[in-house]
Amino acid sequence: MNHYDVIIIGGGITGTAIAHELSKFKLSVALLERGTDIGIGATKGNGGVVHPGYDPTPGSLKAKINVQGANAYPQLAKELNFDIINPGIFVLGFNEADRAALSHKLDFGIKNGVRDLAIIDAQTIHAREPHLSEQARFALYAPTATVVDPFEVAIAFAENAAENGVAILTGQPVTAITKTATGFVLTTVRAQFSCGYIVNAAGNHADDVAKLAGIAEYTMKPRHGDLLVFDKDMGNKPQTVMFPCPGPDTKGIACIPTVHGNTLVGSTATMKDDKEAVNNYAPGIQALIDGAKKIVPELDTRKIIRSFAGLRPVVLDHNNDFFIAESVTVKGFIHAAGIQSPGIASAPAIAELIRDLLDNAGLKILPKANFNPYRKTKTVFSKLGIAQQDELIKKNPAYGRIVCRCETVTEGEIVDAIHGIIPAQTLDGIKRRTRAGMGRCQGGFCQYKIIAILSRELGLPSEEILLEDIGSNLLCGSMKGGALT
Amino acid sequence: MKKLNYDVVVIGGGPAGMAAALNAKEAGATVAIIERNDELGGILNQCIHSGFGLSYFKAELTGPEYAERFINRVNDTDIEVYLNTMVIDLGPGCQIIASNQSGILVISAGSIVLAMGCRERTRGAIKIPGSRPAGVLTAGLAQRYVNIENCKPGQRIVILGSGDIGLIMARRLTLEGMQVLGVYELMPYANGLYRNIKNCLDDFDIPLHLSTTVTNIIGHPHLEAVEVAQVDKNLAVIDETREVIPCDTLLLSIGLIPENELSQRVGIGLNPQTNGPRVDEFLSTDQPGIFACGNVLHVHDLVDNVTLEAEAAGAAAAAYALAERSGEVGNNALLKDTCALIQLEAGENIGYTVPSILHQPFKREARLSFRVKRPLTQARVVITSGDQILYQGEPRAFKPSVMEGLWLAPDDVNGWPSLERPITVSIQEV
Repeated sequence: MNHYDVIIIGGGITGTAIAHELSKFKLSVALLERGTDIGIGATKGNGGVVHPGYDPTPGSLKAKINVQGANAYPQLAKELNFDIINPGIFVLGFNEADRAALSHKLDFGIKNGVRDLAIIDAQTIHAREPHLSEQARFALYAPTATVVDPFEVAIAFAENAAENGVAILTGQPVTAITKTATGFVLTTVRAQFSCGYIVNAAGNHADDVAKLAGIAEYTMKPRHGDLLVFDKDMGNKPQTVMFPCPGPDTKGIACIPTVHGNTLVGSTATMKDDKEAVNNYAPGIQALIDGAKKIVPELDTRKIIRSFAGLRPVVLDHNNDFFIAESVTVKGFIHAAGIQSPGIASAPAIAELIRDLLDNAGLKILPKANFNPYRKTKTVFSKLGIAQQDELIKKNPAYGRIVCRCETVTEGEIVDAIHGIIPAQTLDGIKRRTRAGMGRCQGGFCQYKIIAILSRELGLPSEEILLEDIGSNLLCGSMKGGALT
Repeated sequence: MKKLNYDVVVIGGGPAGMAAALNAKEAGATVAIIERNDELGGILNQCIHSGFGLSYFKAELTGPEYAERFINRVNDTDIEVYLNTMVIDLGPGCQIIASNQSGILVISAGSIVLAMGCRERTRGAIKIPGSRPAGVLTAGLAQRYVNIENCKPGQRIVILGSGDIGLIMARRLTLEGMQVLGVYELMPYANGLYRNIKNCLDDFDIPLHLSTTVTNIIGHPHLEAVEVAQVDKNLAVIDETREVIPCDTLLLSIGLIPENELSQRVGIGLNPQTNGPRVDEFLSTDQPGIFACGNVLHVHDLVDNVTLEAEAAGAAAAAYALAERSGEVGNNALLKDTCALIQLEAGENIGYTVPSILHQPFKREARLSFRVKRPLTQARVVITSGDQILYQGEPRAFKPSVMEGLWLAPDDVNGWPSLERPITVSIQEV
């Protein structure tokens, strides 16, 4: 049975950020993820906006964490080599009631320490966003706001953590937790592990995981959101993240430019009971289109290439706040629960807070001299100039074979992903790491090629290749007498 | 980096690309074909059913047989064929950047023929709600799996959309022992050719449900069922008709979209009705020296028509390149500002015309293609300029599944008024 100082349960952006933070210290750490890959729960189901921090009530934990986390992103993007853009946010006002609400947000933002916030007039917003609705009369402008690709960030955190010695273990749903004299024993479907401390970052299942350790300190339900993805070649593309004036429970339906040049529209916000049903709902999709058209009336809905959905983990009866604390009943068990919006922005600061909670709980935390903050760079063919592309192909012809035509992804990059430090083992795992299948044909042209590469590299028959979760086999067998050779 | 030079470079080695290349070659140009897959023939290679070539070859061929006739002809010439090679950028002045496993190719062309074909519309485009499980795929991808990769996508199949590929796959999967539960079509009429409804569905007792669509996708991590429902005449779902159909595979045959991402990189103007470039009677786009044909231009139902169109594009591209090479481009009829322009507008009951621009003087016969928007039992093609009727066809039936063609002769077009107002092509009920 392997022993670790700390075991993190859950490989979303919260768990991986914690793994990354703890990898800076002389600790043995493992992260257990139930799914076939990291970043596939709430992390992959949101719009990627790094909220700058004008929303949370001043003085709250969320306010402090949000601003601190958001401020960490530009430097993290350099060290961990993930994409980040700085489009800023407009929170749009359409009437005088909105003006009062936005002044209130401005006040919150200033108190929370958000830099360069201002209310700007119609002329300024329309000059920057020519396709914005004429009805928009002013906006709260947050120029420092950034956008990332949330699962790319989670992968970056996890890979750098792994490079610095953290064991990132996928396909390990925890089924039992036993308290021992010195810590805990965890049982998964595959193995048993022992550890001194547990960090519970299990997203929508944090309450279920806590229950395994006999802890019943909170109950969780998911808040569901639908989102739409628009083609990169859409006209009238917004340059700024644009929200309507927020309602009491939601930031509203926004138009969001992504790091890859697509536009996202999201999201709806509806409390649900089912923690697994990441479905899209027809009324939600209609609400997104209606909401987005209030911002960009000429939005070309023919350019929608995909809809998706996310379930944000909400701790009930907790004022929509995060639940980050050591358990009061089971010492050494630390919750990082209820990480709903602004979870992406907050992740780096949550990780530091968890480190401090572990310190307070008695874990000896000493800096590691050989910590390398720089993630190993990966080859992205489409971002290179043609001279570099040519040189790369001369070294390895696989980079000359373009598999995904929509996003210009080569076989070389797909093979790199399959043999990465946290290997992509599924079609969606490859999609998230390389963007193959992410484009306008949605894999119609490249899916069979990627299945063949996965099958070859993993040594598995093609009918065992998964879309994502166990049971999501893409094919059910051969037509006649086995595959052709 | 390898630097190359050709009179005509054809992007895409499917039926359009091969026919264009052959005609450009015949006109005396040096020609290259750039093909991203590992063989010529394009999507024909996976269309193993017959029904190709009836008009062009007066013979009933399978897709691979139709392709083979052109592949053999290409191989008999000195047309350079680059397989497994992908164009990654197009620049001004007919500059092409392509990539293959030998490295980057930088190609200067006298003219370019775009023949990249089309892609299938996906689930996202029609926003079907529900889960996002394995087991939902486009009909063309399923065709690739079954006919080329020898892989089985599922056992109990529902097909959404009555496009030709969906109909063909209904028969194909049935013959391979899978259970095709039905084909569902949102519109009150079938989108595919009549012969495919008859041969692929009726002959195999596969039900076609018109005015019915998939309203929910059920199951995770794999498809377990779809919910279908009838729609009213405004295409709104009729709630009480919702029905859950257990299945493990949903094939989508819901339309094709010309692939013009490369075209857009050089700023070629597209026709929003076709999603293909705006072209004139030479199949020239609005960028000098760049021509387009086949499904990248507009979606065809018969490959025979693709071949005819591509032959015209190849010949025009060669004429352009050769005139430019000999310094005669100033006298070339293809140079638009030397000619009077006629704008063609899609009128009543039609979605578009290809070409949408004609020149005067109109020098040789050219085919005008268009499609009716809804089935009409008794109607005729009418070409008008304001109140003036320029042409009137014989009354007959029209179907959206069939692309219509009308040959325009120089004597007709040269008599038409130009410039003052557009000329409208419509199909009027009689």
